[in-house]
Amino acid sequence: MASVSIETARTETGNKGSKPSRLAPNYWPFVVPALIVIGAVIVFPWVFTLWMSVNSWTLGQEQTFAGLDNYIRLATDFRFWESLWHTLIFTVLAVVAPLFLGTLAALIFDAQFPGRGFLRGVFVMPMMATPVAIALVWTMMFHPQLGVLNYLLSLVGIGPQEWIYNRYSVIPSLVLVETWQWTPLIMLIVLGGLAALPREPYESAEIDGANAWQKFRYLTLPMIAPFLMIGVIIRSIDAIKSFDIIYAMTQGGPGTASETINIYLYNTAFSYYDIGYGSAMAVVFFVIIVALSFALMMVRARANWSDMETR
Amino acid sequence: MATVTLQNIQKRFGAVNVIENLSVDIADGEFVVLVGPSGCGKSTLLRMVAGLEEVSGGEILIGAREVSNLPARDRDIAMVFQNYALYPHMTVEDNMGFALKLKKADPADTAERVKKAAAILGLENLLDRYPRQLSGGQRQRVAMGRAIVRNPQVFLFDEPLSNLDAKLRVVMRSEIKAMHQRIGTTTIYVTHDQIEAMTMADKIVVLHDGNIEQVGAPLELYDRPANLFVAGFIGSPAMNFLEGRIEEGVFRTDKGLILPLPADLSPASAGGRPLVYGIRPEHIRASDQGIQGRATIVEGTGSEIFAKLECGGEQLSCLFRERIDIRFGDTVGVSIDEKRVHLFDKATGQRL
Repeated sequence: MASVSIETARTETGNKGSKPSRLAPNYWPFVVPALIVIGAVIVFPWVFTLWMSVNSWTLGQEQTFAGLDNYIRLATDFRFWESLWHTLIFTVLAVVAPLFLGTLAALIFDAQFPGRGFLRGVFVMPMMATPVAIALVWTMMFHPQLGVLNYLLSLVGIGPQEWIYNRYSVIPSLVLVETWQWTPLIMLIVLGGLAALPREPYESAEIDGANAWQKFRYLTLPMIAPFLMIGVIIRSIDAIKSFDIIYAMTQGGPGTASETINIYLYNTAFSYYDIGYGSAMAVVFFVIIVALSFALMMVRARANWSDMETR
Repeated sequence: MATVTLQNIQKRFGAVNVIENLSVDIADGEFVVLVGPSGCGKSTLLRMVAGLEEVSGGEILIGAREVSNLPARDRDIAMVFQNYALYPHMTVEDNMGFALKLKKADPADTAERVKKAAAILGLENLLDRYPRQLSGGQRQRVAMGRAIVRNPQVFLFDEPLSNLDAKLRVVMRSEIKAMHQRIGTTTIYVTHDQIEAMTMADKIVVLHDGNIEQVGAPLELYDRPANLFVAGFIGSPAMNFLEGRIEEGVFRTDKGLILPLPADLSPASAGGRPLVYGIRPEHIRASDQGIQGRATIVEGTGSEIFAKLECGGEQLSCLFRERIDIRFGDTVGVSIDEKRVHLFDKATGQRL
């Protein structure tokens, strides 16, 4: 059957004496639904955002072409640079802390001990919860007078903290919530990596004279590096665009102390209705995320020992 | 370099006794091969010497030092594994220098020793490659290089050639032997391949079900196997075994075939009890006057012809080094080199 239809196709093309692409229109109808969906949900919003970013448009007022004015305004907007700094700190902490704790948890859960399956199940639970629900629960726990955290601190003789209600502790507190929720993800990724490690090099290392720490440092860590990198990529992209937990807990406050780019652009576009300026911010933010993704992909390729021969 | 002494070694996995009371003395600089079929305990024994497996009883001495309860890293041994066990994320150079790096050796000295070992094994051009970029033979050489660099008292090899193709196996066999002759380190080598054992060993230890069947030089085992197991295990193709008794100065098999006996064997000692007559296929020659048999299998390799003959109800494997024209179904006359006949007691399996 296949050979017959190819034959027919060739003949038709040959008869018309034109390029093979002349056949393509016959197949276009099949691609159209996908193109419509992609155009509607991906291409249009982006083109629209790009267009808006070069316009001055506040909802309820007239839209005027503004060229690069919005971008120039961004460059001199202190609040934007501050939000960029907050985003950076939040992202770094919200990647490093779960990475460290998740790896530690994976090493613990990789060992055999009674009740391991049950405990692992319990450990993974935060990951399954809805971020907004988590935010509400943690907001209550952070409450300076009624929160359980200050009560727990009082038990060990530490005075009450202001947590998310203090401009210096708000970002670390938000990171605590992120870490609580996303450490299990890193643990699962690393646990998968540990399970896939070959056993033989450890015997070699034993004979070569490695102690437990050296085996971890020189074998386990480099061999799970590709898995850690996957964790870093997923966490970085997730943390940099984190919105729900921050918005539900602090809305960027107190003041602007926890305002990340995402929160600032949301406020600009939907609280102040400055769609043009918000769009410019979204475009810059998108460029940052893409650049970060590329950088991480490159680092990942370097960390990947398992396909070094293909590099 | 050092001697290795295994005294009454025992190994139990739960209720199962894998090795019972095994003792071997290995001289300084000796190349000893532990050989036996799968599951005979040879790899377990090697891993106990390495310190990767606990000893259930007995003592292991390296030199004068009792090491049975020392961790592997304190035994001053190096091991080459069947699957190479290289560090996949390190270059050849790092793989080879890893043990010295752990000992915090001077980097310049490490580099020098790695370079020297690489030169011995022809790995100079591969030092910056990763294991995945190497062929099986190259990886095996790196594994050996890693062992050489450490300059240990004892080398342990655990079926190092099993993952290589037949041709490369022959090459690596010679390389390992050459390396031993050059370096002279005491070596314990485990294999299930009796050809490897015969070609490489100064001394072979034949193991079966966790017991030593025979210890001796390769030719000693070939010429005077101590029992039926060793006789059947050493030599390829395997020795012919024919059951019967000695009657009137000849051997009569249970099926009535009459076979010659060596002149120096006194029939009185055999006393008419059930025996097993052993003759290696290569010790049977084509001869017009000899035993007549019909060829049921004929396989020529060019250098030799393997044939299976049916003679008076018995099957006789023969290996002819001379070029003779035999085809399936032909009747062939053969004669047995009676000086090469082995007789075993059927009941005990021991050599007479």
